[in-house]
Amino acid sequence: MALRRVFAITSILFLLVLAISPLKNALRPYRRFQGEYAKLGASRAKSMQAAKAYLQKPVAIHQIWLPEFENRVDRCTTCHLGIQDASMAGAQEPFRLHPGSYHTPKDFNRFGCTACHGGQGLATLEKDAHGLVPDAEAPLMPLKYIESGCGRCHDSEGVSGAATLSLGREIMEQKGCYACHTVKGHEQFRSEAPPIETMALKTGGEALRRWLTNPKTVDPNASMPKFQLSEKEIEELSNYIFSLSPSRQMADRIRAASSEPAGDVAKGKALFAVARCISCHTVEGKGNGTAPELSTVASRATPGWLIAFIRDPHAFNPRTRMPQFNFSEADVRNVVAYMESEFKDFEAPKEILDPIRVNQTLAEKGKTLFRQKGCFACHAPGAEVDRLGPVLDGIGDKRPASLEFGKRTDLPHTLPDWLEAKVQKPGSFQDGLRMPTFALSPKETQAVVTALLSLGAKPVPHAYRSVPSTRPSLIPGGTVGALMDKYRCLSCHQIGDRGGDISTAPLTAEGSKVKQDWLVDYLTLSFTIRPILTDRMPVFQITKEQASQIALAFETFYLDPSIPEDPFLGQNPASNDPAEGKRLYDTLGCRACHILGAGGGYYGPPLSEAGSRLKPGWVFKWLKGPQKWRTDVRCPNYGLTDTDALRLTSYIGTLVKSPKTSKTARGGAR
Amino acid sequence: MNGTPLPRIGIWVRESALYRSIVRHGAADTNRNRSLVIFENLFLHMHPVKVREKTLKFTHTYWLGAITISALVVLIATGILLMFYYHPSVPQAYRDMKELKFVVDNGVFYRNLHRWAAHLMVLGALLHMVRVFYHRAYRPPRQFNWVIGVVLLLVTLLLSYTGYLLPWDQLAFWGVSVGTNMAKEAPILGPPIRFLLLGGNIVSENALLRFYVLHCVLLPVALLGFLGVHIWRVRKDGGVQGPPGPASDDEVEP
Amino acid sequence: MSSPMPPLDLIESNDPVAMPKRVALVRPDARATLRRVEERWVMTFPNLILREVIVFQIVVIALSLAALLFNAPLEGIANPLETPNPSKAPWYFLGLQELLHYFPPVVAGVVFPGLVVVALVVIPFAKINLSARPLWSGDKKQTRLWGGGAIVVLAVFFAAFNCWPIVIPTLLVGGAMFSIGGGGQGGRLRQFLVRVTMPEWIMTWFILVATILTLIGTFFRGPGWSLVWPWNMYPPA
Repeated sequence: MALRRVFAITSILFLLVLAISPLKNALRPYRRFQGEYAKLGASRAKSMQAAKAYLQKPVAIHQIWLPEFENRVDRCTTCHLGIQDASMAGAQEPFRLHPGSYHTPKDFNRFGCTACHGGQGLATLEKDAHGLVPDAEAPLMPLKYIESGCGRCHDSEGVSGAATLSLGREIMEQKGCYACHTVKGHEQFRSEAPPIETMALKTGGEALRRWLTNPKTVDPNASMPKFQLSEKEIEELSNYIFSLSPSRQMADRIRAASSEPAGDVAKGKALFAVARCISCHTVEGKGNGTAPELSTVASRATPGWLIAFIRDPHAFNPRTRMPQFNFSEADVRNVVAYMESEFKDFEAPKEILDPIRVNQTLAEKGKTLFRQKGCFACHAPGAEVDRLGPVLDGIGDKRPASLEFGKRTDLPHTLPDWLEAKVQKPGSFQDGLRMPTFALSPKETQAVVTALLSLGAKPVPHAYRSVPSTRPSLIPGGTVGALMDKYRCLSCHQIGDRGGDISTAPLTAEGSKVKQDWLVDYLTLSFTIRPILTDRMPVFQITKEQASQIALAFETFYLDPSIPEDPFLGQNPASNDPAEGKRLYDTLGCRACHILGAGGGYYGPPLSEAGSRLKPGWVFKWLKGPQKWRTDVRCPNYGLTDTDALRLTSYIGTLVKSPKTSKTARGGAR
Repeated sequence: MNGTPLPRIGIWVRESALYRSIVRHGAADTNRNRSLVIFENLFLHMHPVKVREKTLKFTHTYWLGAITISALVVLIATGILLMFYYHPSVPQAYRDMKELKFVVDNGVFYRNLHRWAAHLMVLGALLHMVRVFYHRAYRPPRQFNWVIGVVLLLVTLLLSYTGYLLPWDQLAFWGVSVGTNMAKEAPILGPPIRFLLLGGNIVSENALLRFYVLHCVLLPVALLGFLGVHIWRVRKDGGVQGPPGPASDDEVEP
Repeated sequence: MSSPMPPLDLIESNDPVAMPKRVALVRPDARATLRRVEERWVMTFPNLILREVIVFQIVVIALSLAALLFNAPLEGIANPLETPNPSKAPWYFLGLQELLHYFPPVVAGVVFPGLVVVALVVIPFAKINLSARPLWSGDKKQTRLWGGGAIVVLAVFFAAFNCWPIVIPTLLVGGAMFSIGGGGQGGRLRQFLVRVTMPEWIMTWFILVATILTLIGTFFRGPGWSLVWPWNMYPPA
């Protein structure tokens, strides 16, 4: 009977089809991986017993459950079985040992895997786990951006051990991202860009045109990015800028300066070297900082403006990092004369500094453009409360579906790819986009994308947040505060959580570190402390009186309570033993890096006069753990006992300036 | 069964006291026993003992009702299994989807079956209705059964729709948001009905719980009730109605 | 009933069991006629039951294969702050959502679906649905007037809302309706169309419109409910 036969066939098919899923279930890849891992582990095991332990492990799903950390469940270890197994070094994936870093492998059970690597921790199949499916939050974080994971917990600008992330955060600050974009913790950001009112007296029409077309071609150090501007728009903006007039007082200053007699080029050249302008500026790329390149400065600024500016930079731009030098009237004339003679773009047309004859209609249009393009965000900060650009908080958790790819159909639809393209070439997404191009190198792009990816949508739980260990910045008021502002200490030095990174010496605990007399000497005439570095502090020509004021303030304010004034107090009196200290100095190999007397290495600072420079309390604390003070320091932590550290301290205290080593030896290093 | 010799074990089972206490009739080898198969069984007795031979032809009904009910059976079976793994709360509901996919044995299979069976049931019900219309099977005495059919279609749509929210993913959330925003437009009754349905003014965890209860308890019970009446009425109204005969024979006066 | 009625004079007993009495009033214009149709009956078990089981098994097999081959969609966790573009309702509501594009929400979301449900419920109670008379069997002039009028009114109404996905099938169905207005001579298709009743024309029109709207809503609507080709619908992941 046909019906029965059909029934028989469908019944068999029915049972067969229903058996497929359980069969698939039994053949899940992780079971195979665990079998392979057991075999591999057994073959690499050193003892029979260890080999047996590998083979006897039951096949199961492994997971790291973090109820305190967003209830994460990471099952990565179901297949990545060897990440904590030292015998799996160099094994094939997925069994390889995890490379060591600050948190790995010791903190695996605290952080899990997906906190840094992304992907789907819950999944047990490769495609799902690595996030290549639409329901995954995001695909696996590419390894070049892995440090974004550090930034989820570490809010501070610099994160030790995460160089890329720290660089990215630094670039974001330096390039002025926060002028247009809101990011938590950076609401107070103010750009250093100069106000535009004095531009008409500083520069010329052609120079301004060149600048607006692409600032980087005029000055490779320019922090102003390249905007998408048509020639017409550049014309309008130039007209607007030249239609503005500075305050009467400023105008008079510049005019008066321009009518001063020319200075002495040779004297100016000497002063340029002594004052050490290239601590911050560059000349033909040589120099230390990111302040404007000076090799063509005379072709973009009038001599009168240069003179007036060097005399009082803060009157022109209250936010500039440039310190005010105590140059005499003639000094400034000489330096500018030197600059006029050498720092010129000799290929530029003669009229490059000629002003524009302002067309009011164009100027009006330029005024609107100045607002539309967001120029005001940097050049007139505070004028607008709202930031132009989108909020960047949470951008690291954006789903690709919510991103606008515009014209970039070539990009893979992932967040890192989008960010990379956006940071590199914002204009390629859409015409007329306001976001400018910053001309970042691939390495900088990687760093910025890492920093952006670290901006999560919601903060990590409190237990996982790393509170920055730096102290808040403390700037004294009164005369010393004014002096520190005048000399712009913070442009190069770090104090607490603020400051530049040009100097290697943070000032946060300077009062606990150096002796007052030495500091006075140093401030009046600075010299290079480390032989490996050619750079030193500029010579501000600080008077002795001012130097004493500053040194006294440092002695009062910039103290670290954990550094004792007298480390020997309450310690074993036998520890004050310079002879034993010298023996330790020789056996520990300090000589490899530090110069002392005739010999020694060049990496660390010379110790010949350390006794007159450093306070014993600081030396003691430093020796107990150099990394506590500077995370990037190479001085090894010897794990000295208190007694040994004190012995060394007492020895270093004896290394004082002998009357013979004169100032000539010190000031010599350029 | 008839004509096929049973293996010894079959005979032993069939003659055991336990089997005979459950199945009270003999082998279905006589018409009497075949009748007993139907009316001795709670589930089968919705059928008549005999049916017209022509109603068994494929083109008579295209088996659309049977397909729809088969999908329903699959839905109930997989639905109960899925309920074991599901918590109607945020964000656990979504995580349960992941657990089904990644950890639960055959979890993906059950979820997939449930989803595709749901689509099949909606589609089957719609096609069944179209078939009944073109076969003019809604005419007396079957008017009321047609109305029940319309109700069943609405309940089916509601079941599918309430189930749509349960995974608590973007599709679910926005699908339901779009749908319930339409309900808001109804004059007077719209907003309160929407509020009642969602347990609030937006799709939230309250809505998830309400949809869960509707999906797993209220609507299935309603569906099964109406479905019982529907099938029973088919029998009472003279069996399934296939394509109409020649036009002259097909006049039915109201 | 097939036995001839007994002569009246034989009725003697009042015992209803021994002698059932029936009175039937028959209108002359509705004389009961009875056609005997010889129908074969078969036992439900196994003939129907087995077939039902087979249907069930085939359904399960088909669904299982679908379940093994295609995963049910699942996207990221619900996020009220992140609206996907487009956000779509389940497929069976996409016809309505498509209507929202053309009509105010009250009309598309409430009036139309309400009308559809009411129309479905009243089908078996409306006299016109019970008759099996083909559309063109009556007064051709009347049919032309009313049918044509209805189509023109519908087409104009929907065209006024720019709802071309309804206007076009309306005109198509109207065209098919009027193509056989002349009479029943011609090919098989014509023969078939001639027998179509008015409710069937209406239902066909409705199904066509609903299908087209659902298909457009499902496959041809992209970001901002703009028309896109299905293969451009979502950016490649």
